[in-house]
Amino acid sequence: MSLLNRINAELKGDRVIWAVVALLSIISVLVVYSSTGRLAWTERNGNTEAYLFKHTLILAFGLALTYLAYLTHFRKYAKAAPYLLVIAVPLLLFTIMFGTEINDAKRWLEIPFIGLSFQTSDFAKIALVVYVAREITRHQDYIKNFKEAFLPIIVPVLLVCLLIAPANLSTAVLLLGVCMCMMFIGRVSVKYIFLLLGLGIVAFALLIFIGEYFPDYVRVGTWASRVKDFVENPQGSFQVQQAKIAIANGEWFGVGPGNSIQRNFLPSPHADFVYAVICEEYGFLGGAFVVILFVLLFHRVTRLVTKGSKTFGAMMAMGLALLIVMQAFANIAVSVHLVPVTGLSLPIISMGGTSVIFSCIAFGMILSVSKHVEATGE
Amino acid sequence: MNVKNEVLYRVYFIFFLAVIPAALALIYKTAYINYVEGEYWRKKGKDTFVEKRSIEADRGDILAANGSLLATSIPFFDIYFDPNSTGMSEEDFNKNIDSLAYLITLYVDNTYTPGAYKDFLIQKRKDNARYVLIKKRATLSEKRFIEKFPLFRLGQMRGGFIAQQSSERVRPFGVLAQRTVGYIREGAKPVGLEAIYDQVLGGRPGVQEMFCVDKAKDIWLPLNSLTAVEPRRGDDLKTTLDINIQDVAQEALLRAVNYHNADWGTAIVMEVKTGAVKAMANLGRTEKGWWETFNHAVGTAIEPGSTFKLATIMAMLEDGYFDLNDTVSIENGRTRFYEEIMEDSSPYSARLDSITVKRAFEISSNVGLAKLAVQAYGQNNRKNKNQGAAQFISRLKEFNLHLSTGIEITGEAEPYIKEAYSAQHEWSGTTLPWMAIGYELRLTPLQILTFFNAVANGGELVKPYLVSEIQRDGKPLQTFKPVVVKRQIASKATISKAKELLEAVVERGTAEKLRHPDSLYRFAGKTGTAQIGYRKVNNKTLIKGYQASFVGYFPADNPMYSCIVVINNPRANGFYGSDVAGPVFREIADYCYVMAYQIHTAFNAQPPAPLPARQLPNNQNGYAPDMTYLLRELRLPYYGQANTDWGVLRVRSDSLVWENRQMAANVVPNVVGMGLRDALFLMENRGLKASVVGYGKVVRQSIKPGTRARGQTVQLYLD
Repeated sequence: MSLLNRINAELKGDRVIWAVVALLSIISVLVVYSSTGRLAWTERNGNTEAYLFKHTLILAFGLALTYLAYLTHFRKYAKAAPYLLVIAVPLLLFTIMFGTEINDAKRWLEIPFIGLSFQTSDFAKIALVVYVAREITRHQDYIKNFKEAFLPIIVPVLLVCLLIAPANLSTAVLLLGVCMCMMFIGRVSVKYIFLLLGLGIVAFALLIFIGEYFPDYVRVGTWASRVKDFVENPQGSFQVQQAKIAIANGEWFGVGPGNSIQRNFLPSPHADFVYAVICEEYGFLGGAFVVILFVLLFHRVTRLVTKGSKTFGAMMAMGLALLIVMQAFANIAVSVHLVPVTGLSLPIISMGGTSVIFSCIAFGMILSVSKHVEATGE
Repeated sequence: MNVKNEVLYRVYFIFFLAVIPAALALIYKTAYINYVEGEYWRKKGKDTFVEKRSIEADRGDILAANGSLLATSIPFFDIYFDPNSTGMSEEDFNKNIDSLAYLITLYVDNTYTPGAYKDFLIQKRKDNARYVLIKKRATLSEKRFIEKFPLFRLGQMRGGFIAQQSSERVRPFGVLAQRTVGYIREGAKPVGLEAIYDQVLGGRPGVQEMFCVDKAKDIWLPLNSLTAVEPRRGDDLKTTLDINIQDVAQEALLRAVNYHNADWGTAIVMEVKTGAVKAMANLGRTEKGWWETFNHAVGTAIEPGSTFKLATIMAMLEDGYFDLNDTVSIENGRTRFYEEIMEDSSPYSARLDSITVKRAFEISSNVGLAKLAVQAYGQNNRKNKNQGAAQFISRLKEFNLHLSTGIEITGEAEPYIKEAYSAQHEWSGTTLPWMAIGYELRLTPLQILTFFNAVANGGELVKPYLVSEIQRDGKPLQTFKPVVVKRQIASKATISKAKELLEAVVERGTAEKLRHPDSLYRFAGKTGTAQIGYRKVNNKTLIKGYQASFVGYFPADNPMYSCIVVINNPRANGFYGSDVAGPVFREIADYCYVMAYQIHTAFNAQPPAPLPARQLPNNQNGYAPDMTYLLRELRLPYYGQANTDWGVLRVRSDSLVWENRQMAANVVPNVVGMGLRDALFLMENRGLKASVVGYGKVVRQSIKPGTRARGQTVQLYLD
């Protein structure tokens, strides 16, 4: 029992959130192993373990970062927030100009020498959320003031979203939504929030206008075709139909781990459509379980707010939870054909280096807050 | 309300009014897809996108008797490129697209420049296209070449290379025996051997799980699966057809139908002993010229006319009515049966009245044969067992003329022989005389030939057949033996009389002009000139046209092949069987006779005549083993014995003498009298160079034999 005791001693903070992290990680390894089969055959001469090891390694590294982030006091994030943002903005700009194109989208930066690519928006998302949390708490006393409180918040929000949007509109929209929710919780005047929404729409229109002239930089065509697909095709595109077949194949209890058929037809069964594979292999129950895990996460973070209310920590945890949960729901909504196809991954579960790592870090930061909230009862 | 509570309410607001409903919506939709629409999607998953699809097996070949391919399947490929194949990485695509575009424009499609093709492919990748046509109907070697292109060589998943195989049936000999070989084509009734042996040729299709990339274009890609069943190639058919005889038959027939401006023609060659069909040609008139449009040989039953007289006379001979030398009055070739007038078409008849039965057959007298038949079967008598015409019909049935041959081709027409006195068959008083000369009944050319073949075969009726073997990988799976349908269709005496009659037709009868002037070989047969499309108006017969035929066998003494030629409705240059069909028969027979080495005496069967001295090879110089081998094969006697590697043949008066010759090393050899091969061998082995002028054997060399060899160049003069 010493190991359990040890873990017990080591891992303070909300046990439920720890459990959510652990469960998501386990699901992730299982599903990724199953769904990369085809990829392995086509890219690695059938070495199915190659992806398993790579993903497990990344996940282990991510979980180590979770632990590190958990050990770090959350106030340090507040201090670091402006600097992180200052790093994130040029990085995004750099990505737009010189990023590597993968699947027709410039979202990635090659890290020199080690040959890994890095999705800058994943980093920027967290930086922005931390920054917004910090600003909301900092200006809490005069939060309804337009000039003093609102402007410092929305300028970076709009800037980051605009920089992400050309290559990755769904992340930008998600991020804008997360920030709006944070501002709502942080008591920013609803009037202003709608103003932000309006500004967002104006910015989007501007982007489309630019896209007409620079189609290589702004993926207007892709957005239009996806939305068109969604609106015009009640059964969904080929990809979405494959996802539906996968979900239907799963019935109550699924066809069992590793038995998915649809993984062969889904465009990226290990990332965008991972939920469909979960439903196929573990059934409706498996799918619902994943949804409930995310609801549970949000619920636990809500508890943090009730305990720690207006502190920066609570606000940051709330923002990060919103980020994770909204992204997860957006991903799942694609698979069940509630929204048009996006490129959002399912946090932690989907295979993908940067996404997994920053999701893990986000969990670590939430846990860091929960540790202190539990410790101090603040 | 304090700040903390306000924040809390707002958090709960988000939780209960956004997160929980969103989660419920997701779960609800999952359940909805799973249960409400579940059946539909599961079915769709099974039916539409993954399917066990059959893979067509390669079809077996149809071979001629000597193994030549009459029909074979050649695979071809539609080659597509999937620029968004699941395994294709951006890196692979970018790295290879330039060279791929270059190679495609260089070797496959030069209507584009490499740059334009590259842009085209990049655009297709952007457009999420799943297959871009690279080449339609590529051959196997082209496909093998293209699949080695950069990117493509990474395979289907990673390189996006898709080759969809189909196969095409080709007949290397084109129109030759086309109708007999047959075809299976969509939207057409399958015919010929392809139809009958479809099961054998078709093989067993394989089964493979495949998934659909595009329903509209019906494009399926194989799924890696262990349950795949490999298709089994069809077996091959070896036919009895001899491609050379077929060629000659077709050529001769083509010339005849053209020359005589006919409607159609057919020619069949059959092996007498076995019934193996060696050739079956059918030519019909089409807008695009002559073509194998219909298998008349098997499928068209016609009134045979005079060729049927053989059956009539054989029936009467069997019943013992007369001898060949008995006489019959042919009334100058014109008589009357009831109200109907019968005339001979032979110009001889007008001057003749009382002639022998044999002569009547030779000149193909309608009146003669009809009168004999009416005498024999017109009323009941002892010889026809008081059966009258029924006895005639039952004789015809003994000759199996009422039965189809059962050859392995669909659509054989049934013979039509009336039952005696049958009202249903409209038997009348004139039926018997007209049946006697080949009207009021119908037979196919093959059925007539089968009957004549039985006569040639000494009375043994064999079934005509086309397929001798079913093979797999060149080894026989099933062998078809000749089938004897009837041991003896008539007595030996009758058969030999029938043969005598058929030979007489060629010797001095209607086919006399076909006879070989130099008596190279003799053949036997019967001409036929039948009226077609006739109708009777006011006691006059209006005729649409004629059908010329000739049927017989050769050589007459020891029949090897039987053959029938039928040409329908010749409009120009004559219409008699002997003028129209006969020459075709002769041409086929000549060829078959010349080619049938079994019936010729080999030139070296006897010891060769001694050759005069001037015909002997003097001064032949060369390699001893080769020379002695030739001398032995040519049976040329010689004196002396070859003891060295090289030697010379000298002529001494009228015999050959072998002289051994030593070829010393390091000196220029004597190569006069040698072929260039031997001469060069000797020269170059001694380090000498040879420069050659002329053709033939070496007659002179520029450096004297015996000179020390030091790498000189020796000029060789050949003549």
